[in-house]
Amino acid sequence: MLSVLALTSVVLLGIASQTTAIVVYTSWERHALVGSDVRLSCSFFSWQWTSPDVTFSWHYRPDGARDSVAIFHYGGGAPYVDNKGPFRDRLEFVGNPSRRDGSILIKNVDFGDNGTFTCDAKNPPDIAGRPSSVRLLVFEKVPVQAGVITGAIIGVVLGLLILVVAIYYLMRFLVARRVFSLSMSKHGKKGKGKEGSQQKQAKTESSPGVHLLLTTCLAFHSLLFSSSLL
Amino acid sequence: MLVLLAAIFVLHLTCIALLLAATIHNAWWVTGTVSTDIWARWTLINGQWNYTELPDFYPKEYLQAVQASSVLACIFCILGLFVFVAQLYTLPKGKRFLFSGVFQLLAWLCIMIAASIYTDIFHKDERFGSYGASFILAWISVCLTFISCVTYFVLRKKTV
Repeated sequence: MLSVLALTSVVLLGIASQTTAIVVYTSWERHALVGSDVRLSCSFFSWQWTSPDVTFSWHYRPDGARDSVAIFHYGGGAPYVDNKGPFRDRLEFVGNPSRRDGSILIKNVDFGDNGTFTCDAKNPPDIAGRPSSVRLLVFEKVPVQAGVITGAIIGVVLGLLILVVAIYYLMRFLVARRVFSLSMSKHGKKGKGKEGSQQKQAKTESSPGVHLLLTTCLAFHSLLFSSSLL
Repeated sequence: MLVLLAAIFVLHLTCIALLLAATIHNAWWVTGTVSTDIWARWTLINGQWNYTELPDFYPKEYLQAVQASSVLACIFCILGLFVFVAQLYTLPKGKRFLFSGVFQLLAWLCIMIAASIYTDIFHKDERFGSYGASFILAWISVCLTFISCVTYFVLRKKTV
């Protein structure tokens, strides 16, 4: 048992001491409205401690173009923002390299900013890794997600239907109860001659009571459901 | 009397079947290589049918309105069948099947909304292609649900 533990610990140490590839994480796609600011996040995973010589670099390739241009570089402890290319005066470094965050902020996006942004991070001595890309899509207005309107319409109509049925049964129950109580107080003094027919009436009129309870519960549940959909 | 009841039941079942076929089968508009709407598009590529997304230029709100109202029509028709069977047993003699008629009326309204919106908004300027099976079934169910609704409003319960 002890020897197995020793063996596994030696193997793990051996693996950890090698420089395995660094893994860079960005989003897959970012959607933005024209004129808004969009934050492109970039982070990495590395077995090594975060070195003071960590570097982040961002490249941009417009939609349809073949080459990418460098727009940002962080190295030697200082960020270097592009001041000649398509993002001059619009790019800002909002990351925290000591926490492995190399995010940038692009202000006032326009339709010309549609394209692929590639982040490459290096954490010496961990430098072998693949850069990761995020696609930026700029919209004039935010597109409605597929199926939201459909679900909302169906939920609202069904909720209204259940509400109408519940109100109908409620009214019938209240009216019947009122009629019953009125007739009881009227004929209560006249003796038990008509008691038989009153009881029969009470039986058929109070069965909506159970229906009422069920339908009101259903109505509340469907209203909650449809409001959560919206 | 029993024959009439069976006929009405069969009519209602036919409405349900046609509505479900129109809603689920993606064949409101067909060309030689494409069978499309209202959920997705089947495209014939290299001899194989592929399930693809609907194109982006479709007006999204109208498409979702057609989807929602055709689904609602199916739901109301199926609920109406259960209500009809329940009313068969609980309705006093001489009364009309109003509740079932109301459900069929709602189903008729919904499928008419769906079919009308689709006819007026989609595929207006396309030269190639024609309306497919689901479209025709949708319009047929408009007629059948209307007939069914009128039947329920007119029919009175008699002892079988």
